[in-house]
Amino acid sequence: MNARPEMSSSSSRDEIPDDFKTELLDLIPFLRAFARSLCGNQEMADDLAQETLVKAWQSRETFVAGTNLKAWLFTILRNQFYSDRRRAWRRAPWDQESAERIPGTHDDQNWAAELSDTARALRTLSDEQREALILVGAGGFSYEDAAAICHCAVGTVKSRVARARRALIAILDGDEKLPSDQRSASDAAKEIMSELDRLVPDRTMLRSHDGDNDSDDEEET
Amino acid sequence: MQSANAMVTEEDNPEREKARAIRARQRAIGRELRRMFDEVAQEPVPQDFLELLNKIDEAGQAGKKAS
Repeated sequence: MNARPEMSSSSSRDEIPDDFKTELLDLIPFLRAFARSLCGNQEMADDLAQETLVKAWQSRETFVAGTNLKAWLFTILRNQFYSDRRRAWRRAPWDQESAERIPGTHDDQNWAAELSDTARALRTLSDEQREALILVGAGGFSYEDAAAICHCAVGTVKSRVARARRALIAILDGDEKLPSDQRSASDAAKEIMSELDRLVPDRTMLRSHDGDNDSDDEEET
Repeated sequence: MQSANAMVTEEDNPEREKARAIRARQRAIGRELRRMFDEVAQEPVPQDFLELLNKIDEAGQAGKKAS
């Protein structure tokens, strides 16, 4: 792993690709998973993961050999996520149709079909709490790595994770509509759909082209 | 919710019970988080990712030759 040659000099360029590419390739599944957890929406998440790959490739010479490539990639992905979102907000924060394209906001129903109660509760956390919890709780990062990825202090990550856990429990236990871990995802989806219908009568406007979990009531165990 | 005081011994058990329940809940949530993450991570990598990686590689090689 840390036997990779130095990447600073321009003459080493020829040695980078294969090695680096193979490692990128190996980490794609984790990038996709992290992107999905940030965006909620699969299509948008994969776009984000691909943007990350391109960015990583372009700046591959700034990666310090022997350090944590996964953490480096996650940092790029996370920066990209927030800058995309800032751009989207700037463009037209009042416009529902662009709001649809803002990750982590109105598109959450795309994930609803496969959403467990925990996943739904996760969407209600603040971005900071959610990402900290995912990095540490699911991504297998140390508090130190998570702090580096999120550009904050280790103590901050620790407290975000702790607060996120408490908040999830409060949400899951406090909401009588989320009684057990056994409830089917399609029930959860239907609930979100009807809630959306109530809040946004013109919901079709918010949906892209997945329209497959809207009208069918089939139970998927 | 309850007047949880050490004075009433019967209250002790429910408190301990509650703490245990919370810990169990935390573990369950942790498992669920990992499950969600792993579920995506275990999906086969879509073809367009592989194509993208090849494409940027070629582009890089071409750019290098051009310069």
